[in-house]
Amino acid sequence: MTQTTAMARTAAAARKRDKTHYNWPITILLIVGCVTIFFPLYMAVVIAFKQPSEMTNDIAGALALPTHWSLSNFAEAMRVTDFWHSLGNSFLITAVTVVLAIVLHGLAGYAIGRSMKSSKVYNFLYLYIVSGMFVPFAILMMPLVKQTAQMGIANRIGVIVLYTVFYMPLNLMLYKGYLTNIPLALEEAARVDGATTWKTYWSIVFPIMKPMHATVAVLTAMSTWNDVMTPLVIMSGTGVNTLPLAQLNFQTEFGTNYNLAFASYLLALIPILIFYLFCQKQILNGVVNGAVK
Amino acid sequence: MKGKSSKGAQERKLTFLIITIPVVALFFCFNTLPLIRGFIYSFTNFKGYGSYDWVGLRNYRDLIGDSRVGNSYLFTFKYALVGTILTNVISLVLALGLNSKIRAKSALRGIYFIPNVLGGLVIGYIFSFIFTYVLPTLAQRAGIESLSSSMLSSTGKAWIAIVIVGCWQAIAMNTIIYISGLQTVPEDVYEAGSLDGVTGWKKFRYLTFPLIIPFFSINMVLCMKNFLMVFDQIMALTKGGPSQSTESISYLIYNNGMSGGQFGFQSANAFVFFVVIVAISVFQMTVTNRKEEQL
Amino acid sequence: MKTHAKAAGILLAGMTAMTALLSGCGANKGANGKTVVEIVQYKPEAVKAFDALEEKFNSTHDDIELVIDSPNDAMTILKTRFIREDYPEIIGIGGDINYSNFLDSDMLMDVSDYPGLADIKESYLKINEELEFVPTDGTYAVPYMANAAGVLYNRDIFEEHGWTIPTTLDEFYELCDDIQEQEILPLYFGFRDTWTCLAPWNAICVDLAPSDICSQVNAGTATFAEAYHDAAEVTKSLLAYAESDPYAYSYNDACTAFARGESAMYVIGSYAVPQIKSVNPDINIDSFVFPASNDAQQNVLNSGNDLQWSVMAGKEDKKEAIYEVLDFLYEDENIQTYLDDQNAVPCKNGDFTLPSMLDGMKSYIEEDRMADYQDHHYPSEMAVDAMIQTFLMDDSENAVDTFLERFDTEWVRYNRDLISKVQKFYEEHPDLLADEPDSEKGGEEQ
Repeated sequence: MTQTTAMARTAAAARKRDKTHYNWPITILLIVGCVTIFFPLYMAVVIAFKQPSEMTNDIAGALALPTHWSLSNFAEAMRVTDFWHSLGNSFLITAVTVVLAIVLHGLAGYAIGRSMKSSKVYNFLYLYIVSGMFVPFAILMMPLVKQTAQMGIANRIGVIVLYTVFYMPLNLMLYKGYLTNIPLALEEAARVDGATTWKTYWSIVFPIMKPMHATVAVLTAMSTWNDVMTPLVIMSGTGVNTLPLAQLNFQTEFGTNYNLAFASYLLALIPILIFYLFCQKQILNGVVNGAVK
Repeated sequence: MKGKSSKGAQERKLTFLIITIPVVALFFCFNTLPLIRGFIYSFTNFKGYGSYDWVGLRNYRDLIGDSRVGNSYLFTFKYALVGTILTNVISLVLALGLNSKIRAKSALRGIYFIPNVLGGLVIGYIFSFIFTYVLPTLAQRAGIESLSSSMLSSTGKAWIAIVIVGCWQAIAMNTIIYISGLQTVPEDVYEAGSLDGVTGWKKFRYLTFPLIIPFFSINMVLCMKNFLMVFDQIMALTKGGPSQSTESISYLIYNNGMSGGQFGFQSANAFVFFVVIVAISVFQMTVTNRKEEQL
Repeated sequence: MKTHAKAAGILLAGMTAMTALLSGCGANKGANGKTVVEIVQYKPEAVKAFDALEEKFNSTHDDIELVIDSPNDAMTILKTRFIREDYPEIIGIGGDINYSNFLDSDMLMDVSDYPGLADIKESYLKINEELEFVPTDGTYAVPYMANAAGVLYNRDIFEEHGWTIPTTLDEFYELCDDIQEQEILPLYFGFRDTWTCLAPWNAICVDLAPSDICSQVNAGTATFAEAYHDAAEVTKSLLAYAESDPYAYSYNDACTAFARGESAMYVIGSYAVPQIKSVNPDINIDSFVFPASNDAQQNVLNSGNDLQWSVMAGKEDKKEAIYEVLDFLYEDENIQTYLDDQNAVPCKNGDFTLPSMLDGMKSYIEEDRMADYQDHHYPSEMAVDAMIQTFLMDDSENAVDTFLERFDTEWVRYNRDLISKVQKFYEEHPDLLADEPDSEKGGEEQ
């Protein structure tokens, strides 16, 4: 995994020459390794397009491409899972959660992060919220079902509020970490100009934290989009589905028809894959930012 | 922070307070309050509905002798330990590879991150099909006796299948974190190192690794925590079987507490689990922090 | 200071705007002045039949609006709704431990004044009485459909080879040997889904164990180690006639395999037939009662309430509308709609066309030689299905003893509160212990 020869050169010279000195063995190994990523996805695609009659126990048959590509499985799966509604709900919940996370958690990170050095109370509050990361959802589940119902938010609002709380520990940690690297001087300069703290935050700190907003948005969106448990226990029986929830229902109902089931799995995977394809760079950078802080 | 700006400092404090109070209140209301309620239920024989009685510490006493709970702890820890080690080793190797001078670097990084964006449940269903139908047939063809029947149906091997799926998804995130760690290692460290003739494993052990220890510790803590809370994979792959050999703690709590009528008892289980996870994470962080300081 | 107000204001405004945005979608039913009767029933596979019935009801009734939900995993959904105190009017559940628990928690309404009860077969009402932890005076469920479990067989394969229906255990083993000689798999199991382990178990236990064994154990007069010994051995003996590694295959896989003629028989309930027919609509299925005993007289049909209606407590004000809905559901024509779709056995007296795959069980139904599923008395968190799976996978010599020993210990552990409640009840009512509980239907101890 090392390539000492390339490293030995002086930086400037090396950079020029290295254009032609790719480490081919590693490149090839990594490309071959992609099989482990693509194989399960390939299986899903192949099965989703086949008809039940094309499914054979023979391995060559299982791996072969379908004889003709038909979208009928997808049409049926979309009908059964009420795809567009579920997609809309998932989208709405994710979007609102992300916005709330950026606004609320950013503010909280700022207020708590900036006060921690001078105040034991804030220090405690920080640890208090961050330790929430370790609370198993299972213990909260039933009390939360009761609580959201009593408050009249056993619906999409309740789910969004809960997400805002569940992701608070991690996001707070990220914002706080990012802020320690932002010098106070900028804010002080603004304050000398007579700006209030509130205004300083929105005009100076908020824009500076942009990379961290991206990170928070990415991490929050991915967790929200794929989560099943929260909508399952909070919204069950209300007739409102999210995409993964529709999936779960689908699994039990039409279990024999693997082709239909796999078409529905793909339908659940595709939106987030497309999103990932388009925002790949931002997502990877976002995750990296989160890690570095 | 000069004396002159004390009015400004006060304004700042007040603003922070006004921001913090609603946020903490929200957190308290939807995290701490239900946690306390759950804790209270752990002293009852509540089924989740209807009337219930106080049973004192009985649920906690029962926890100690309950073989099913004991087995779920054994399974979960075995799974988390093996999963965390495997994930970290593989993703570190992957990160070193993806950070070296290779063609199509960003495309490859993008591909290796895909598993992380996909939902655990759906991935589990897909792998379940592979383990049941594809893998045994492949193994029969290749003449590998031990894999010619489904891994998911063997009490000895089902957990390995779950580890594979768990790692498949977890490696993506860990790799990216390691890559970002490797990028913080300045070139001149290597240059200094290579002048001394440090190469290969030694270079990694004595030059690279010490510099990415903070990332190593993030990965260990997050990875361990996520593996300990495993739920989706169990739900999709084995539902705790065969013969209860893959019941994770989270799965048991959900299954018997929510679907079964053991809410009170499982609340006690969940509370103990919470304490255990916090203890492990604190322990991990202290150990890695000490390591960091030493270096 | 103004900015603080603004800060808080924006936060609040954001939250309120969101609330307003989302709460418009709740869709409150019943705004049109009709009395809404909501049913949540737990059989998602019957969704089509119930959708049709719902539509029919609503087009013929002006004052009542009927809503029938058939969600997946209805038990979890019902339980979360109960936590929310959001009760439907009627729940359609099976006659199992959940019913016992709901009843025990005072959640169900006494419907003994429902006139339709007169038409329900006595044996099914009696099954429900056995499900009561402590005896009650009222009636809390109206049985709708029963199912039967035993052995499904492929009639075409049987006719081709001239095999006959066994009536004793030895005949059954002989039959399996014959089938194996023809290089056909006698049985197929889907033990990966642990609950399917209960299908042979139940069918065998009704023949070999007393039907009220659980109550006997609760009262402290019997042990499972004794009562289930034979049943455990017979259950295990079936493995020799099934595919290798049955734990690799799910219920769906087993249904598919049977549907494709890969096995001649399948030990499962009648509820599997729609699933099997979805794979092979032309398959010719019949069934017979599992002959677990060598005394043919002792073999009875394993049948229980698969779907019954309970009215939730606190819905007295809607009683009239609720009974009207029940009347509608029990109209012969509507029962037939369900039967045609789901291959069930109706609990109502009357002249219904039973599905042909129950031919082999008909005489038992007519003679009322039936006993309820044992697992209807097992608490779900005890996971008896997984215990049976463990037992079946255990190859050691003393597997039976290990299994039954565990059964007895875990039973006490999971039913502790219930046992003390039952014993306390009989201490207070010693007169009731004399005539309660004893086995009325079949399945006497050997």
